Parts: sequence; C-alpha cells; structure tokens
Amino acid sequence: MAAVHAWRAARVTPLGELHTPPRMTAALLRLTVQVVLVASLWNGLYAQTGTTAGLDRDQAVTYAVLAVLASRLRELDQYAGRDTVLQHMHFGTIVYWYLRPLAPQRYYALRALGEQLYGLAWALAGYAVCLAVGVVRPPESAAVAGVFALSMLLGQWVLYYVMLVIDQLCFWTLRNGAAMLILIFAQNLLSGVYAPLWFFPDWFITLSGFLPFQATLSVPLSLYVGRIPLSEAGAQLAVQAAWVVVLALFTRLLWRRAARRVISQGG
Amino acid sequence: MSGSIEVRGLSRTFHTTVRRPGFAGALKSLVNPERVAKEAVVDVTFDVAPGELLALLGPNGAGKSTTIKMLTGILTPTAGEARVAGVVPYEERERNARNIGAVFGQRTQLWWDLPVRESFAILRDIYEVPEREHRARLGEFDELLDLSSFWDTRVRHLSLGQRVRCDLAAALLHDPPVVFLDEPTIGMDVVVKEQVREFLRHQVEERGRTVLLTTHDMTEVERLAERVVLINHGRLVLDGSLDEIRRKFGSTWQVRATLADPHARVEPLPGIALLRHDGLKVVFGPAEADAPTVHQALKAVIERYEVTDIAIDEADLEDVMRAAYVQAEAVSRAHAEVPSGARAEGV
Repeated sequence: MAAVHAWRAARVTPLGELHTPPRMTAALLRLTVQVVLVASLWNGLYAQTGTTAGLDRDQAVTYAVLAVLASRLRELDQYAGRDTVLQHMHFGTIVYWYLRPLAPQRYYALRALGEQLYGLAWALAGYAVCLAVGVVRPPESAAVAGVFALSMLLGQWVLYYVMLVIDQLCFWTLRNGAAMLILIFAQNLLSGVYAPLWFFPDWFITLSGFLPFQATLSVPLSLYVGRIPLSEAGAQLAVQAAWVVVLALFTRLLWRRAARRVISQGG
Repeated sequence: MSGSIEVRGLSRTFHTTVRRPGFAGALKSLVNPERVAKEAVVDVTFDVAPGELLALLGPNGAGKSTTIKMLTGILTPTAGEARVAGVVPYEERERNARNIGAVFGQRTQLWWDLPVRESFAILRDIYEVPEREHRARLGEFDELLDLSSFWDTRVRHLSLGQRVRCDLAAALLHDPPVVFLDEPTIGMDVVVKEQVREFLRHQVEERGRTVLLTTHDMTEVERLAERVVLINHGRLVLDGSLDEIRRKFGSTWQVRATLADPHARVEPLPGIALLRHDGLKVVFGPAEADAPTVHQALKAVIERYEVTDIAIDEADLEDVMRAAYVQAEAVSRAHAEVPSGARAEGV
C-alpha cells in the first residue's frame, strides 16, 4: 500500500516547537537581536564609505539581514526534542526508524521538510517586518524575486544534504559533535552568513567555489541584492542543481551503507 | 494473515576491532587494528505458531536481541533464513514492518516533545490506519492499559510505566499479527507489570497475535508462556514447554518428613535419594536418573513410611532456569572444545 498519509510525519518538529512556547519565545528574541545587531553593524561599517567589494550600504545590509533570516530555516532545536540522529544512535531508538513502513531516508526527508517550512514561516514573517520598517530593500524586479526564490529553494536543498551527510556520520562514528561544529562554522563562513563572500580574498572565493556551502546562501542572496546579475543566474542555478544531484547520489549511497550498520547497544 | 515465525539455521557474526590494553596497545590498535569475528547467533532453528506466545530466554549477551533484530529486519543474518508472517524480514523491510510491532525495553519510539496522542496520530499516518479503526483500537488499548489518564501529556513527562504502556499501544496500533517484545517490563513496578501481562494475554488469547518475548522475569514467563526457547552463546540449547523444562532442570525438589517410628529402616526409594537422616527427620531428593515428580515422590514416601508430618520444597522457575543456564554453559563450553565438524546437537 502506498504511504499516502505518511507525508504528515513532516509535522513532527513544528508540532514539538508549538508545544514548547519557551522555545518559540527564545527564537523570536534571538532573531530580533540578531537582525538589529547585524543591521547596526553593517550600517556602521558603511558610515564612512559608499561602495565596498561591489556592494553599497543597502545591498550589504539587505544581504546580512536576509542571511540571518535564512539561517532560521534550519535552526530548530532537535536536540532538546531528543530527535537528532546522534541521540537516536546513542539511545538505540534508531531501530524504530527501520521498523516502520516508511524508509528512514523518507522519514528524515519529510521531517526536514516540515522543519524548513516551519522555519520559512518565521523567515517570511521576519522579512515582512524588515521590509515594512525599511531594514531590507525589496528585490529589483519580479524576475529577480523569482530567480531568488528558485535559487533559495536549491540552496536549502543543498543545505539539507550537507546536514544529512553530517547526521549519517553517526552511523559510523556514533558521535558527530566535532563534525557538526566544523560544519556550522564552515557553513556560516563559506555561505556568507558572517559576511558576504565578496569581502574575502580571491583565493578564498576560489576555494569556496569547490565546496557546496556557497550554493546554500551566498548565491541566492547575491542574486537578491543584485551582486550577481540576472544574466549570470542560469550558470549559478546550474551549479546549485549540480550540487543537489551530487549530494543526493552520495547520501543515497550512505543510507544504503548505514542500513547495514544499525547495531544499537545490547545483545 | 498467518502470524507464524519460521527460523532456520539463523546465524549472525559481527566483526569488531580488538582494543589492546595500555597506551602502547591503544597506539598499536590505532595503527594496526586487529579485527575479530564474534558469533552472536549460531545456527538457531525454531518455529512459533500463529497465536502462540514464545519466551526467548537466555543470560545477558546470549544473542536474544540479535535474534529479534534479524526477525524484525533490522539486521541481516550471515547465514540461514527467517520468515515472519510469510515475509523474509531483512529482504522486505517495509512489507515486514506492516506485519510486526516491536518494543525494545525502555527505548521509546514515541516523540519526546509531543503529547502521546500526537505520537499515536503520526504512527497512524505512517502505517495508513483508517481513522475509525485507529479510534476503536485506541479505545480498546485504553480500557486495558488505562492510557487516557496521561495520553495528553508530553512523552518527556511520563513515568517509565506510563511510557512503556504507551509504547506497547504504539507497537500494536496498526494491528500487526506478530509482536516482538524485548524485555518490555524491565524496571517496572509490580502493578504495571501485571497490567502489561494482562494486556499481552489479551492480545494472544483474544486477538490471536503471535508474540515473541524476551525477559529475565521468570514470573512473566510462568504467567504468559507455554513454550520457551533457551539460547546461550548464540546457540539454541533448548526448545520445549515449561513442563518439559521443569522435568529436565527443575528436579530440585525436596520432601521433608517426620517419621512416626524412631526405629524405622530408612533407605532410598526408586528414583528418590535419601539426602539427610537425623533422628525422626528425613529429607528425600531426586536421584540423578529417572527421578519422579515431586508429587510422585510425596506419594511414594507416604506409602513406604508412617509419617507424622510431611512437607515439600519445590524449585521455582527461577531456580529451574538457573539450572538450565548452568547446563547450557557447560554445553557451550563443550561446543567450544569440540572441532566444528564434529559438533552434535545441544541439550
């Protein structure tokens, strides 16, 4: 029987958040503080200059604030909900993922989809407020908005696979704390969350071009603020799509191998 | 759908890295790791009929959980084959998942942050259970396990007993014909244990589910199982009814009598050994071969001697299983010493 209603498993993490109001309050506070600080920082940095690294003040502030909002898309507290792959491996509850008529990879994907849609609601609400108060500027045209939306979708897809690889590591190492710390730092640095990649030296930009992080945020945000013109969007979208395909194949291979390694504690 | 379980020559070998002791050893293991093979389950064969509750017993590390993991499709056997409700579990995991329910001790499959009822609803969606059936089944489980008093509570706030009851319900919500329970009542108080046993009895007798249960609680075995399979060091050493096991390992009874005649000549009886003789007090026990049951021995003593008082001490199932484990250990040692080509069947 086809799993017609299994997609509803996507509600797991958002439901957990809604049942934990303190976490929602904390998320709201954190997002507000981050947006205010980041906007103040970039406004301050541009106080004495007009254009730097090809970005003017409005572009830089818009880029930085959108980066903060976008990072909210996958920032839910799975750890508190005891629902990370790391915890399932540790507590031995990962076995249940293999005892349901919904393959673990599908369950993982549905759960991530739910998280990202929930995060998107936060990001859109934050965007609407920032737009209304003039912290970010709107896209130049409907075409830019459309390309940005498509690029953002691909970017989140790439990010999903990157996070999945780190989670899949647990099947071999049982722990992924160090890998996760490296990932968070690399993701924030190389995707342009800390600062737009255009501010970094050329060798750094070249290096990051060989990694998937740039495809997650830097590309869609650069398209939004106009740092990458629409004429170059096709090539950038193709690179993002290529990363999606490569990572999809790689993670599929890892899922297959992981299934052979599900040995939780005990005889 | 038939809920039978067929296991034929099932084996599973794990390959692990040996960690050498000390700093130098650890360094050596890092550079040149030594891999060893450990046979967790070896050539295990048994059947469980539809609607039967079988207790899979054995000391810690005997291979019970590994066997269950192969039957649930989590692990693939190294050799042999298994069929659960007609499906090879490790080849058709998703199809097998619809036929089975499982509870692994204190490991919960419920979502920690959600109220129990939400967890049930997610499982309903995953298993595609129609809403009406879902509600009816929840109602039935509520009657037996008293779930409604806490099913709106988040899982993280439940007591162990409440959580395990919810896990049992979660495992059966999709109406599986076969249920695997790996030490489901571990750590629970006696009241909840009894409630769970009643629930399981109902599932077997009224719903006709096939249950494979592992436990160290012999009261549970006594109350629920008619048949047990005993494994040790991964090998099946016994497959039989509780009566057979008692006959084989439980002959540790004693008949204590006070004789009426101080001059009576006291001697062993057929199959009955004289253990102690102190004045008027005598104690009989089973002889090594052809020992009668305790009731036959009681009758024989009364018929042979004039007694003023008589009492029996019978080993409980805990003692019986201890004796079985000890014998199983001896068999395992014998297996280890005999070359593999020359191995005979166990106990």
